[in-house]
Amino acid sequence: MSRRPLIGQRSWLRLPSAKIALVILAVVIFLSIFGSALAPQNPLTINANALFQGPSAHHLLGTDYLGRDVLSRLMAGTRLSVLTAFEAVGIGLVLGAPLGVATVFLGKWFDFAVNRVSDALMTLPYIFFAVAVTAALGNGLVQAMSAVGILLAPGFFRVTRAATLEFARAQYVEAAELFGASKLHVIRVHVVRKVLPTIAVTTAMSAAGALLAVSFFTFLGIGVTPPAPTWGGVLSSDLDYLSQASWAPFIPGALIAVTVGALNALADAFRDRVGPGAMPVPDPVIKTHSTLTQSDREATDARQTAA
Amino acid sequence: MTFRVRLPGRFRPRTAYRVAAAAAAIVTISALAACGSNGSTAAGAAADSATGASGTLNWEWQLPTSWDPVTSSAGWDMHALGLVYASITTLDPKGTVEAGLASSWKYASNGKSVTFQLRPGLAFTDGTALNAEAVKENVVRGQTQANSTEASELSVISKVVVNSATSFTLDLTQVDYQVPDLLAGKDGMMVSPASFKHVGGIPTAPVGAGPFKLTSYVPDSHADLVRNPGYWDASQIHIANFTVQDITEPEQILAALQSGQVNVAYIAGNQVAAAEAAGFKVDVIPSEVVNELDIQTTSAPFNNPDVVEAINYAINRQAILTVQASGYGSIAYQPFPKGFVGYSSKLANLYPYNPTLAKQLLAKAGYKNGLKITLTAPSTDSALAEQIQGQLAQVGITATIGNISTDTETQYLYLDKTIPFAVDGTAGRMSPVEMLDVLYSQQGLMDVDGKAGTTPAAVSSALANALTVPLDSPDYPTALQNAVVTSVKNDPIHIWLDTNPRILAYSPTVTGIPQDLVQQRWEGVRVGS
Amino acid sequence: MAVIELTGVAGAIAPRRRRGRSVAAKLGGGLAVLVPIVVLSSFITYCLGALSNSNPAATILGQDAATPAAVAKLDRALGLDKPLVVQYWDWLTQAVQGHLGVSYFTQIPVSQSIGQRLPVDLSIALLAVVLAVLIGGTAGTVAAVNRGSWFDRGVTIACSVVSTLPAFVVGIILVVLFAVSAHLLPASGYTAPSAGVGPWLEHIILPSLALALQVAADIARQLRTSLVSVLDQNYIVGARVRGLPYRRVLVRHALRNACGPALTILGNDFPIMLAGAVAAEVVFSLPGLGQLLLAAAEERDIPVVQGVLLVVATFVIVVNLVVNTLLAALNRSADGVSA
Repeated sequence: MSRRPLIGQRSWLRLPSAKIALVILAVVIFLSIFGSALAPQNPLTINANALFQGPSAHHLLGTDYLGRDVLSRLMAGTRLSVLTAFEAVGIGLVLGAPLGVATVFLGKWFDFAVNRVSDALMTLPYIFFAVAVTAALGNGLVQAMSAVGILLAPGFFRVTRAATLEFARAQYVEAAELFGASKLHVIRVHVVRKVLPTIAVTTAMSAAGALLAVSFFTFLGIGVTPPAPTWGGVLSSDLDYLSQASWAPFIPGALIAVTVGALNALADAFRDRVGPGAMPVPDPVIKTHSTLTQSDREATDARQTAA
Repeated sequence: MTFRVRLPGRFRPRTAYRVAAAAAAIVTISALAACGSNGSTAAGAAADSATGASGTLNWEWQLPTSWDPVTSSAGWDMHALGLVYASITTLDPKGTVEAGLASSWKYASNGKSVTFQLRPGLAFTDGTALNAEAVKENVVRGQTQANSTEASELSVISKVVVNSATSFTLDLTQVDYQVPDLLAGKDGMMVSPASFKHVGGIPTAPVGAGPFKLTSYVPDSHADLVRNPGYWDASQIHIANFTVQDITEPEQILAALQSGQVNVAYIAGNQVAAAEAAGFKVDVIPSEVVNELDIQTTSAPFNNPDVVEAINYAINRQAILTVQASGYGSIAYQPFPKGFVGYSSKLANLYPYNPTLAKQLLAKAGYKNGLKITLTAPSTDSALAEQIQGQLAQVGITATIGNISTDTETQYLYLDKTIPFAVDGTAGRMSPVEMLDVLYSQQGLMDVDGKAGTTPAAVSSALANALTVPLDSPDYPTALQNAVVTSVKNDPIHIWLDTNPRILAYSPTVTGIPQDLVQQRWEGVRVGS
Repeated sequence: MAVIELTGVAGAIAPRRRRGRSVAAKLGGGLAVLVPIVVLSSFITYCLGALSNSNPAATILGQDAATPAAVAKLDRALGLDKPLVVQYWDWLTQAVQGHLGVSYFTQIPVSQSIGQRLPVDLSIALLAVVLAVLIGGTAGTVAAVNRGSWFDRGVTIACSVVSTLPAFVVGIILVVLFAVSAHLLPASGYTAPSAGVGPWLEHIILPSLALALQVAADIARQLRTSLVSVLDQNYIVGARVRGLPYRRVLVRHALRNACGPALTILGNDFPIMLAGAVAAEVVFSLPGLGQLLLAAAEERDIPVVQGVLLVVATFVIVVNLVVNTLLAALNRSADGVSA
C-alpha cells in the first residue's frame, strides 16, 4: 500500500479559496478566545474628549460615540458573536443530524412524524420565531440563538437524511447486512463516514447564516447587555451616528461580511470535494407533489448503482 | 427514449412573458407619472387663497401616547395635542399666560375663585358649540374619568359654575393663582363633548377646536391634519396641511430632511453640525425640558440618602452635556433652566463632580465593596445610559442597563411605578407650581415613589404657599424659588442632569417658527415653495 | 425508487380512469402532509406564549387590582385554567374565524393591529418577490447563456458578496445612495396605495430592493447552475440542430426545465425575505408586522406575539403551496416523456 500524502489529491484543502477561508476563520476563533486579553485598550473606557476620532496611532480603528476604542471593542466582541453563532449551529447539528440518520432506519411512521415536525419548523421565519422565544423566555442572546439552533435543525435533518438514504440503499451495505452486521454497525462504519462531508457543507453554511442572525439580533438590540460590545451592536450604534462618522459602519460590516464570506467559501470548497451529489435539487419546505424531474431521477438512480 | 416537443395548449410561456412585460410597463409608466407630483401625503395640497394659507408642513416629531389629553400619559404629548386642541389660555414665548379660548379672567378678591370670559361663537370641528357648558363637561371628565391622568392636577377645582354661555367661574379648594397657567396646557384642552359618548375612541380619533383638524392617524407612523378655519386664532395659521411623522432613528431624521420628506425636524445637539452643513436652518429654542434620572427613594438601596447623594456626586454632568448634546444646553441641578423665573441661584453648584466623595459616601452607607443596581432606559436612548453606567462604574456601582419599550415606558414608570431607577426627563408644564407638583407631590405623575412614599411636609407647605402668591406680585419669584429649593433638597427623587433646548432643523422655505418656551406653537409660520 | 415522497410519482401519462384515482391519491397524500404541518406550526406558536410565564390576568388588571382572588377569577374568564391542549384548540378555532384575541396592554384587537400593518409587509414582500425574480432570473439566465464571460464571472462575484451582506446593511446603503445623496426617494415612512400609487411605490421600492437582493443572488446562482446543466443536455442540442431559434429553445425548453430549483429557492427563501422585512422596517421606519412583534415581545404582549407568528407562518405555508403547485405544473408539462 502506497503512503497516502498528508493532504489528499482531492482534498478540499487544496483549493486556494479554502486555504484563505481557513486562515480567516482561525484568526476569528483565536480572537474569540483571546480577544479580550489582547485588545490594545479597555473596550469600556469612555473618553468624553475623543469622540468619533478617525484611525490614528493611538486608536487603530478610531473611536466611537462615547470615545471608546473601536478595535478593542470589536476584538472583545468577537467572543460573544462567534460563540453564540457556533452554539446555534451546534444545537442544530446535534438535533438534526442524528435524527436524519435515525429516520432512515426506524420505520415509516417515525419517519413521517419527524418529517412533519421538521417541515413545521421550516415554516417559521427565524427572526419571528426567535423574537417570540425571547418574549417567552426572556430577552437574552442565548435564548434567541437557541431558537435559531432549533430552526437550523431541519436543514441538517433533511441533508443527513437524503445522504443516508443514498448510502443505506447501496449494494455493499445490503451485503454487509446480509452478512449479519447490526444496523448500528452499518451506521457507524459505512453511513457516518460517507455522510460526514455532506454535514460539513451544511455546518459551514449554517454557521454563516447563524453569524448573520447574531449580528441582526444584536443590531436590533436583542440580547445586548451594554456596555458589552458585539459586532451587530457596534454596527447599530455606528448607523445611529452616520452623519458624524460616515466611515464607521464599514468596519464592523466588513468584519461580518469577511467572516461570513469565509464560511461560505469553506462550504463551497466542501461541496466541490463531495461532488454535485451532495447538494441535489433543493427540496421545497412542503412537498405535496413530487418535485424531482426526470433527469434528477435518472441521476439519482445512476449514483445509486455506481456507489 | 423520445422527447415530445409539442406542449399542452394551456401553458404558453411566450405569451405569458409578453403579457407580464406589458403589465410591468404600464405599472411603471403610471407610477412615474404619479411621481411627477410632489411626494406629500395629502392629495393635492390645497391653497386656501381666501386666508392666504398654503403649503404643507411635515413635522418630524413623536406621536402622542394618546390623542385624548385626559388619558395622555406623557407631558411631551402636549406639543402634538396642541395641534388638534385649543386651550382655555395660552402662554406667550416667554412663558407668561395670555388669552386663549378665554379672552380674559378675573380672580375674586379672596383668591379662591376665578371667572373666565370665553370668546363668543366658538365651535368644535364637529359643530358642537364650545361654550361654558362644554368647558364644565371637560373639567368634570378630567376629574372623574377612571383612567384620567389629569385628575390630581384638576383636583384644585371644586366646582365649575356656568354663568352664561360665555362665562364660567371656577371655585377652588384653596387659594391658587396658578389656575390660568394650568389651563394653558393639557389640563385646559377642550375636547368636543359630543365625543364623550364613546370616550374609548377619542385616543385615536380626537375632535377639538385647535389650529388643525386630524384627518387620519396611523399609530407609530404618522398623522395627517388640515387647517381648521374655525380656530379662534385661525387668522394667524398660514399652513394649509400639516403632517406629524414619527421617525425613531436619528439618522433617518436627517435623511428624511434631506430627501424632503419632512421640512421641520426635531434633532439632537450632536446633529446640529450635520444639519447646518446640509444647508438647513437650525433654531436652538430654550425650553423647559430638563434631562434627569428618576429614583425611587422607597426601594433599597436608594432608601439610604447617602447612596442617592453618592450617585449625584458620581455623575459628571459636563461630560454628559459634551457627549450627548455637543454642548447645547447647560448642566442642571433643578427643574427649571436659568433665565426662568423659577430658577434659584442657591442650587447653582449643588453637586460638583466628585468621584472620591462619592466613594466615601458609598463606604459610609455600607457599600465599600461596590453596589449592584439596574438602570432602566428607553430602548431609543441607550447612549446616555451607557455613559452614566460608565461613570457609576468608576465609583464601584455596577449598573445593569434594563431596556424598556417607549410604548410601555410611561405605563411602568408613571402609572404602575414599578421602576426604581430610570433615565427620564421633564417635558415642562404651563404652570411652574404644577410642574413641581407633578414632580414632587405624592400624587404627581412623575413622582415615582407614588403611594409608597409621602410628600415631605416642608415641600407640601412650600408648594401650597407658592400657589397663594399672585403671578404679578413682587413676592412671586421668591415664593416660587423657595418652593424649588425646598423640593429639590427635601425630596431627592430626581437627579437633574442637563437642560435640553428644543432644537429644530428646518428647510429654508419655512419661516416664522415661534420660539416658545414650553409648547411649540405654529401661529405665524409660513411654508414657501 | 424515490422513497422520499409519500404521494404517487408522476410517471407516464396514465389513462383517464387511473389518472382520476391518482389525482385523488395525490390530493389525499398532499393533505396528509399539509394538515400536520399546519397543526404543528400553530401548536408551536401557541406553546411559545404559554411558556412565557407571564401572568396575563395580573397585567390586565393592573398592579393595584391584581389580588389573588381577582386574578383567579379573570383566569377562569379568559380560559387560562384549562389544560394546554384545550386552550390551544380554542385559540386555533377562534383564530381561523379571524379572532386573534386582544392585546394585554392597549386592549386593541390583535386582528385589527395586524390588519393595519399587514398591507405594509405584503406590499414590500410582493414587490420584493417580483424584483428578486426579475433581477435574479435575468442575471442568472444571461450569465448561463454567456458562461465564462466577464458578465458571468461578475455575477458570480456579486452573488457571493451580496449573500454576505445583511439586509439591514443593504438597506442603509440604499438610503444613503438614493435618498440622501440623490434625493430621489423618501428615506422612511409608508403611504397606502389608496393615497396615491406614486407615493406608495416611492416609499416601498427601496425596502423591497433591500429584501430582494439577497434572494435575487440565491436565485441567480441556482438558475445559472441549473440552466448551464440543462443547456448541455442532448435534447437542447438536438433542438438547436433541428433549426429551432435559440431564444425559443432557451425560453420554452431550457428555462422551463431549469427554473424548478430556482422556484424552490424562492419558496425556501421566503422566510428569509420575511426576516429581511423586519430589518427593512427598522431601517426605513415602516409600521409593519416586524415592529409590532418587536414591541410586543419587549412588553411580553403574548396575544400579539402569537397572532403575528401565526399569520406569518400561514403566509409561508401558502407561498410554499403555490410554489409546489407551480413546480408540479412545470414538471408535468416538462415531463412529456414516455418511458
